[in-house]
Amino acid sequence: MQLITAIVRPHKVSDVLNAVQTFGFHGMTVSEVSGFGKQRGHTEIYRGAEYANEFQPKAKIELVAHDEEVSELLRLIRSAAATGRIGDGKIWVLPLSELLRVRTAERGIDAI
Amino acid sequence: MLAQLAIHAIHTAGNTCTATSPPSGCQPAWLDTGSTSWQLTAATFVALMSVPGLALLYGGLVPKKWVVNTMFMAFSGFSAVLVVWVLWAYKMGFGTPLGGGSADHYNYTYGGNFFKNFFYNFVGHPETSLRGTSETSQASLPIGTAAPLSQPTASLFYFQFVFAAITPLLFLGSVLGRIKIRVWMIFVPLWTTFVYAVNAMLLWGGGYWAHEGAIDYSGGYVIHLAAGTSGFVAAWLVGPRLAQDRQRFIPHSLPLVSIGAGIVWLGWNGFNGGDPYFASADAATAVVNTNLATVAALLTWVVLDMFLSKEKKPTFLGAVNGMIVGLVAITPAAGYVNGGGAMLSAVIASAIVWCAWTYLQPILLRRVDDAMGVVYTHGLAGLCGGLLVGIFADPSVVVYPNTTSGTPFAAEGWWYGNRHLFFEQLGAAATIIVWDAVVTFIILKVISLFTPLRMSDADLEIGDLAVHGEEAYPSDEGVRLTGAGTTSASAVGTTTVQGAGL
Repeated sequence: MQLITAIVRPHKVSDVLNAVQTFGFHGMTVSEVSGFGKQRGHTEIYRGAEYANEFQPKAKIELVAHDEEVSELLRLIRSAAATGRIGDGKIWVLPLSELLRVRTAERGIDAI
Repeated sequence: MLAQLAIHAIHTAGNTCTATSPPSGCQPAWLDTGSTSWQLTAATFVALMSVPGLALLYGGLVPKKWVVNTMFMAFSGFSAVLVVWVLWAYKMGFGTPLGGGSADHYNYTYGGNFFKNFFYNFVGHPETSLRGTSETSQASLPIGTAAPLSQPTASLFYFQFVFAAITPLLFLGSVLGRIKIRVWMIFVPLWTTFVYAVNAMLLWGGGYWAHEGAIDYSGGYVIHLAAGTSGFVAAWLVGPRLAQDRQRFIPHSLPLVSIGAGIVWLGWNGFNGGDPYFASADAATAVVNTNLATVAALLTWVVLDMFLSKEKKPTFLGAVNGMIVGLVAITPAAGYVNGGGAMLSAVIASAIVWCAWTYLQPILLRRVDDAMGVVYTHGLAGLCGGLLVGIFADPSVVVYPNTTSGTPFAAEGWWYGNRHLFFEQLGAAATIIVWDAVVTFIILKVISLFTPLRMSDADLEIGDLAVHGEEAYPSDEGVRLTGAGTTSASAVGTTTVQGAGL
């Protein structure tokens, strides 16, 4: 079991969702986050005063997958989220030690 | 000094004004304080429908990333209209027609050459309204009223301006979320000049359709049919919103919609109530009819939602749609129909627009991206109302009890035996639809020779931040003041940096 975390452009979330659903995947968690990477912040102007905002709004997608599905999912998420410009985001994968479905108390792979 | 000037002015007008005179005695004889104050109040109500009414209504209906852009277009469009209105457009709508003639005598022959009658009387000479005398003199409309007006030109000018200003703000709903700001700022004044002024002259300023007897109490045609038609053509020419925006165009704040819609509803008391140009019995009738129609249409829409829609649920935004349809449908009829006619018209219009919205819109939306559906809630509703007044106009609802001709003025519809009016209404509607569609098309085609009408895809993906550098709900995380700010701005900046904990 692996935890895939993808940081992508907010308006790419629906594309990623479509790609993942086409793959037959049934669950993911999305949250609004902000941060910075190579793409630096942006300038905002309020009443003539300029503000540098170091953080860009991004979407964080998290999903849990079988070990053998990971490389295919990475490829799908990457191609759905990519624009080729700086600021497309990052994807990382962590091994997962335990998983539990709250409704049925199923554990491990059964709970995916 | 100011008081001396005022006294001088009144003396020239030929009145005597002493310390014991009643307030009205110190005014020119033609001026009625009640009608003048109602006209200014009604005009302010209508202005509030635009800003903040429509700014909040549309602002709430768009996703977070387009809120600033939408509100900005409302405020800037409103401003752009007044500039051309005072410089030339008011007189194009309400001044001397191109074919010449005077206030009492036009170049118009009943039953004569159609083309001569039409083009002599379809728009006025462009003229400025900046002169002092043109503001303080007695207001007059070529053949708009059967009784001499009892208010100054300035109050009528401003009342007519707020109507001219709200019309582009209505079809803003068709093109928002992708039209370029610079295109909007050029399109609006051109549209006011070549489309709105013609509509106003044709029906209100004593132009062709006013002569023929077509009626439009407060703008079912001049404003709403016009906004629906032009919005639809503009939406087609500007092109659609971004595909991913169209899939997820979630209204970001229903409470904002509630504030905006409420202001629009009650602002309509001025919209329809101000149109007899007198603080009269007909003004009060128009206000009551407006509200009767609105509740009838709102409830009709809600009932249809509950029993015929797919989800079978009463929705708040459905109620708001019904509300708008009722307000629009009663607009051409408010002071011509009785309460029964008002409610009946609204129920019919609401049912027709609901069906179009539910069954036609999903098909048409794929071809023309009329984002807020203005062609239904304003265009189709205005058309329904304009045709229905041709049926329900009640001759016992007297608009002007005393007129210069000696006979009271009221309109008579098909229901009461005058089928002529219905066909006048049909002809006026066809004129508005054709003229507005064609001229809107030409204006935007000409603008598109110089600049693309739509923002770049890169800007469309980001929205407000890319276009204006502002967000509706800015985050204060990671923010610090840069560049040279004023002293007070620096103080704010310092606070922000500390607050962000950097």
